[in-house]
Amino acid sequence: MTTTGSSSSLPEKNGSGVIQKGPGSGGSRVDKNRPARLRRFRSVVLWVCLAALSTVNFDAVAQQSEAGYLSVTGPCHLGFPEDHGAHPGFRTEWWYYTGNLQTAGQRSFGYQLTIFRRRIRPPAAQQGWPESPSHWRTQQIFLGHAAVTDIAGARHVFSESIARGAVGLAGVRQSDGRTTVFVNKWLIDIGPDSHRLVAATEDFSLDLQLHPAKPIVLHGDRGYSRKGDGAQRASCYYSFSRLQTAGHIRLKDKRFELTGSSWMDHEFSTASLQPGISGWDWFSLQLDNGMDVMIYLLRQPDGVYHPASSGTLIDTGGRSIHLTASDFKVSVLDTWKSPHSRARYPSAWTVRIGRHAIDITVNSRLADQEMLTGPAAEVTYWEGSVFASGTAEGLPVEGKGYAELTGYAGGMEALK
Amino acid sequence: MRPIALFFRLFVWFSWRHFMKHRVRALIVVAGIALGASVFTSVRLSVHASLNSFTKSIDLITGRSDAVLSLPGGRVPEDLLPAVLQQPEVSHASALMTTYVKAAGDEMEPFLLIGFDPLSDRPFRDWEAQRGTAGSDSPWLGLMADPFTVLLSEPLARRHGWQAGDNLTLAHDRDHAIFRVLGILKPEGLGLAEGGRVALTDVATFQEFSGLHGVVDRIDLKLTAAVSPVSLEELGRQWADLLPEGLQITSPSEAGESGRSMIRAYQLNLSILSFASLFVGMFLVYSLVALNAASRRHELAVMRATGASPGLVFALFLTEGVLLGAGGWLAAIPLSGLLVSYMLRGVSQTISTLFVRVHVDTVFLQPWEVLLSFGVTLLISLLAAVQPAREAMLVEAGEALTTARLQRSRKDSAGKMAGVSLALIGAAVPLSRLPAVAGIPLAGYVAILSLFVGFAMLAPWGLQRFGATVSPMLNRLAGVPATLAGRYVRDSGTRTAISVGALITAVSLFTALVIMVHSFRETVQLWVHQTVSGDLFVAGKLSAVNHFRDPAPERLRKGLLRLTASVEPVRSRRFGLKTGNFDYELDLLDLGSFLRHGRFVWVDGNPKALQSRLIDGEGVLISEVFANRTGLEVGDRYVAQVEHFAVELPVLGIVRDYRTRGGVVFYDRAAFTMRYADPSWSTVRLFFRQRPEDFDAALTALRREIIDRCGSHLEMVAGEELRAAILRIFDETFTVTFVLLLIALSIAALGITTTLAVQVLERLPQFNTMIAVGAAVEQVRSMVFWEALLLITAGEIAGLMCGFLLSYLLIYVVNVQSFGWSFIYSVNWKALAASLPLIVGTALLAALPAIRLIFRQPPAILLRDR
Amino acid sequence: MTDGNFLIQAHQLTRIYPMGRTDVIGINRLDLEIAPGELVVIKGNSGSGKSTLLSLLAGLDRPTGGGLTVAGVDLAAATESLLTRYRRSVIGMVFQNFNLLPTLTVMENACLPALLAGTAYEQVAGKAVDLLRWLGLEHRKDHLPSQLSGGELQRTAIARALINQPQIILADEPTGNLDSRNGKAVVELLAGLNRDRQRTVIIATHSNLADPHATCMIHLKDGEIAGRA
Repeated sequence: MTTTGSSSSLPEKNGSGVIQKGPGSGGSRVDKNRPARLRRFRSVVLWVCLAALSTVNFDAVAQQSEAGYLSVTGPCHLGFPEDHGAHPGFRTEWWYYTGNLQTAGQRSFGYQLTIFRRRIRPPAAQQGWPESPSHWRTQQIFLGHAAVTDIAGARHVFSESIARGAVGLAGVRQSDGRTTVFVNKWLIDIGPDSHRLVAATEDFSLDLQLHPAKPIVLHGDRGYSRKGDGAQRASCYYSFSRLQTAGHIRLKDKRFELTGSSWMDHEFSTASLQPGISGWDWFSLQLDNGMDVMIYLLRQPDGVYHPASSGTLIDTGGRSIHLTASDFKVSVLDTWKSPHSRARYPSAWTVRIGRHAIDITVNSRLADQEMLTGPAAEVTYWEGSVFASGTAEGLPVEGKGYAELTGYAGGMEALK
Repeated sequence: MRPIALFFRLFVWFSWRHFMKHRVRALIVVAGIALGASVFTSVRLSVHASLNSFTKSIDLITGRSDAVLSLPGGRVPEDLLPAVLQQPEVSHASALMTTYVKAAGDEMEPFLLIGFDPLSDRPFRDWEAQRGTAGSDSPWLGLMADPFTVLLSEPLARRHGWQAGDNLTLAHDRDHAIFRVLGILKPEGLGLAEGGRVALTDVATFQEFSGLHGVVDRIDLKLTAAVSPVSLEELGRQWADLLPEGLQITSPSEAGESGRSMIRAYQLNLSILSFASLFVGMFLVYSLVALNAASRRHELAVMRATGASPGLVFALFLTEGVLLGAGGWLAAIPLSGLLVSYMLRGVSQTISTLFVRVHVDTVFLQPWEVLLSFGVTLLISLLAAVQPAREAMLVEAGEALTTARLQRSRKDSAGKMAGVSLALIGAAVPLSRLPAVAGIPLAGYVAILSLFVGFAMLAPWGLQRFGATVSPMLNRLAGVPATLAGRYVRDSGTRTAISVGALITAVSLFTALVIMVHSFRETVQLWVHQTVSGDLFVAGKLSAVNHFRDPAPERLRKGLLRLTASVEPVRSRRFGLKTGNFDYELDLLDLGSFLRHGRFVWVDGNPKALQSRLIDGEGVLISEVFANRTGLEVGDRYVAQVEHFAVELPVLGIVRDYRTRGGVVFYDRAAFTMRYADPSWSTVRLFFRQRPEDFDAALTALRREIIDRCGSHLEMVAGEELRAAILRIFDETFTVTFVLLLIALSIAALGITTTLAVQVLERLPQFNTMIAVGAAVEQVRSMVFWEALLLITAGEIAGLMCGFLLSYLLIYVVNVQSFGWSFIYSVNWKALAASLPLIVGTALLAALPAIRLIFRQPPAILLRDR
Repeated sequence: MTDGNFLIQAHQLTRIYPMGRTDVIGINRLDLEIAPGELVVIKGNSGSGKSTLLSLLAGLDRPTGGGLTVAGVDLAAATESLLTRYRRSVIGMVFQNFNLLPTLTVMENACLPALLAGTAYEQVAGKAVDLLRWLGLEHRKDHLPSQLSGGELQRTAIARALINQPQIILADEPTGNLDSRNGKAVVELLAGLNRDRQRTVIIATHSNLADPHATCMIHLKDGEIAGRA
């Protein structure tokens, strides 16, 4: 077992784990009536964490000095299982799972479970700590998001759980080749052969066992994934693009035994997105011809995608091909207007990856998978299960996946 | 509807116009009632405000938790938090720590510092910061991110002029540190706790500041709906393996219950006391309505002759009473407003001194309280009017026919009334023996009322006897006018006599309170000098305001080991414990050393025989309050959970103790160390082994030595100063009581003025007849003066007797049942001897206007008028 | 004993006041029958029993012996509430010293018996004004008794006596406190009531003012009838 104290007291280095004592599991649901301000943008998690954790405006965030944090400026030299653990010197990190599952009777469900880590002060700030710091003293906050989409029941439920990375409330633990990321009662456990996800709230819970069907995929340049103009506008990013999944989901008092396929991302970075990016669309698709696709679109105010937008194509054997912005073309076919936030989100797309002869349309499987947060819905985004159909290399193809759409709701304005 | 309209028409014609004609009389009565009602209302509102603020503060700090994990007398290991969070029964858990701190430069007022985890606490407690916080982070993120930051409640910040971004120094019992103000709380949720005198900080900062690493005061739990209802006891059994020995799961509703019940008892006490003012006002109503009934006898007969039913006459006079009551109550509204602001301070100070710390800023006008005061005032006035209304009703229609009516030879009911009144006074004895109902000395209060009523009803018979006895003596001593006055007193009849009841009530209240407060003070003084003995008291800073719950700072403990040999230390550690809903303290002190220099004030047990057993740790001493609240007696076993230890010891004796919250259990510190564990100590008092020749110099030297060895972050009070301070605070707490008393006395004075004035007016023809048969004007005046003197003296004698009985009730029944303490009965003869003639003098002054009424008009006019 | 022809029937009517150890005789074994529409003048010295008889007739007092029936009401056996109703509806009373309520105006004093009988003020007010106008007091109706002369006071009292339209008017020395002019006027009024409105009028008086109008004169002495005319 790797034993380390409070994450922030470590010499910061990629691959070192954030180690917290004590396990964490179970779930918590935050009463929506209360000023719950914590929600996330997966792609702009920086904003999430700051915006959600604060009521601060965007400019202040953007100008905030990033000095003192470790930053991603080149290849990440990822090694496993160590790098499944935390990278506490970086400001932002997340472990992200989505999947499409069904019962034996073909009733379909989508789910997501994400645990974010956020460092709230650069490591150097630790010098201002008292001589013998309290066990509660930490610079790490952990935030969990869970959602379940019941396609047939046209229902989308979500919850969150937040805790400081101290006194066993939340953290990342590594031992015997296993990595456990936990926040309160929720946990993500990554072992050599399988992953386990546990989250429970009053409304719903999930308990899933996942087995990789393909090896780890390193995005960009060996995991170094560019997100903007400068070298430091980047993250370290890898995925399990296909995980055989079995387990159960409980909705209220109903329990469903499910099987299906999941996707896992693990990403960490420090640099914020550059100014002038108004939002972010992200797709993960698992096609029935055995190929998986990830596309990452950085949206500019004029609607044009920033050239740093990119993607990855994973073939049946698990080999990955990096896609640059010029390799694919995504256009919106239809939109959906949220009755909650009044925001208009794209709801159908065509995705063409010319070089690989992929031409598919992508549709949301349930229009309303919007995540509304806070009493005034300051931070609102769409995260949901999608369905794809079209052709790949001339043959008909279908697939399922997840999409994340940020920066459409008024909440984005609040951040500017 | 019509009969009612008709009735009011008649009331206006007959009664209202009569009131208007004699409006000064009516206004005096209304003023008396108004005073009584406003005292009653303002006292209740003031105590209610304290109760409200206490409850609200407790509720705000308790938040929405379903259960609370705590360790009696100690703290909970923080590791327990993630452990209980994993239990299926628990949906949320949050740790909380609190302590009173002071800001540098503000030695007077400590405020509550709350340490918590802003993230896990969110489901439990609401709070929000105002805009314009320091830094770019949200305030709760800032609390976590930056060590030694605080959020201040708005009143606290305003009071000190603190703003976001300021630095301020806060002191705790161990240390002081500089905090940065992150922001100001909105006046809602936690921002309102403690009357808006709170600061919030991150639990990490709290631990680093206080040095309390690894522990928290308590863990609040929210339980899963799916698992509940599980009883908390059952939950405790299920978690037996999880929870360390001694840890308790309690319901948050228990928090503050003992404080609340103390305040309620105090409220009831003051209510009864202030009710006395209303009761005195009742005599005023009685005398005016009775006067109307008597002086309008002929009109009543005409009314009856013209067809008015007796019921109608009765209703008219009853309505007069109600009208006076309602008028008094209306006039009381602005008066209460004035009084309440004065009372508020006194009342909340008393509650803070005697029971629990409260912070009160505002009074809320409670509809229930307004209704209550209206109802009580009206009822009192109605009751006061019943007897005169009955008299009026009995006026026969035939009287209308005769101009000069023969004096009805109605058998005076004085004797019959005396019988009833003796029965009432006698009833006080069995009533005082009854136990309290739900902590309220209900029977005791009924006994007080029956004493008041009994003595008032005894007045006619008493005056008869008194007049008959003194008039022959007066003849020799003071001549004819005095003799005539004596005769008048003898024959004055029920109406005059009952008016004396007002004086009896006020004087008895005065006597009883003088005796009670004196006994209380004498006893406290004895306690202060024997039990709160010591030449110098030393503790960590703010240790006292935090109830000495934590061991003293190490530097202090070590430094005191090396003190000069000329002083003997008595070290003490206190644990705040609970039995049922009753909060008390376990005081572990060096009994051997203590008993060499100080003593307990014993209620039960033999001090000499027990001394060695106490020092050997064979058992505990319990305070009287503790004994009365728990029912424990000498020989019973005291059982308690103290941190991780189950303590069970025999009760050796019962002693008096008057510290806040009153319940104390004393046990030897060394014995506790031997049997259980070293509790270390939180406060120490030092005794000079031999009284130094130059005491002040020795004390100064001792202080200097302590500062040299232990540093200056401590509190030192000289024993003399401490004892003086306790007595001063004690005296301050009774100002409210004496204000109530003064008002009751002034209402009684009003009563004397009206009664005598009315008597004079009624008898003007008689006076003229006296003049006609050769009396000098001065002789008539002298006669009236003697009447007043005799009535007042009689009232005072009866009041004194009633007061002594009342003081027994207050000391041995009401105080014991309300607060659990009694006092050594002690009469302040000097104060009584000085003040009673003063009351006679004041009452005579009140009689002056009546005497001056005589012959204000030439006698001839009066004769012709008749 | 009751005879329908008589409005008032007294049989062996006795009223004795116990005064300490001795008894004072008010009325002693008196027999009397008065038909409707009579004007009876009762005469006698002070203490002859005039007032006692009148108060018995008025239902203000109860006999200690014998029987008294007025307008069909057995006054000897009547309950207090029956007596109250009797006073309201059968009897109108006029006193020597007027007995007006000092806090009530002329108008209000006049209305009082009607109000006490449960009539609304609005209903009785018109009638009272008529009465006052007839008595020449209309301009005085809002004055208090203290502002009136003796004659006005007695006329107000008569208005009060008439307001409930009683069958019997009882007057106790109605002229006793009035000068001769006013006394005469009051007697004229009472006689007019008897003559024009067929009221039974019983006047107890020392004076001779009413004698010419009497249909029956009774002389009382020591509580017994000494003579009648």
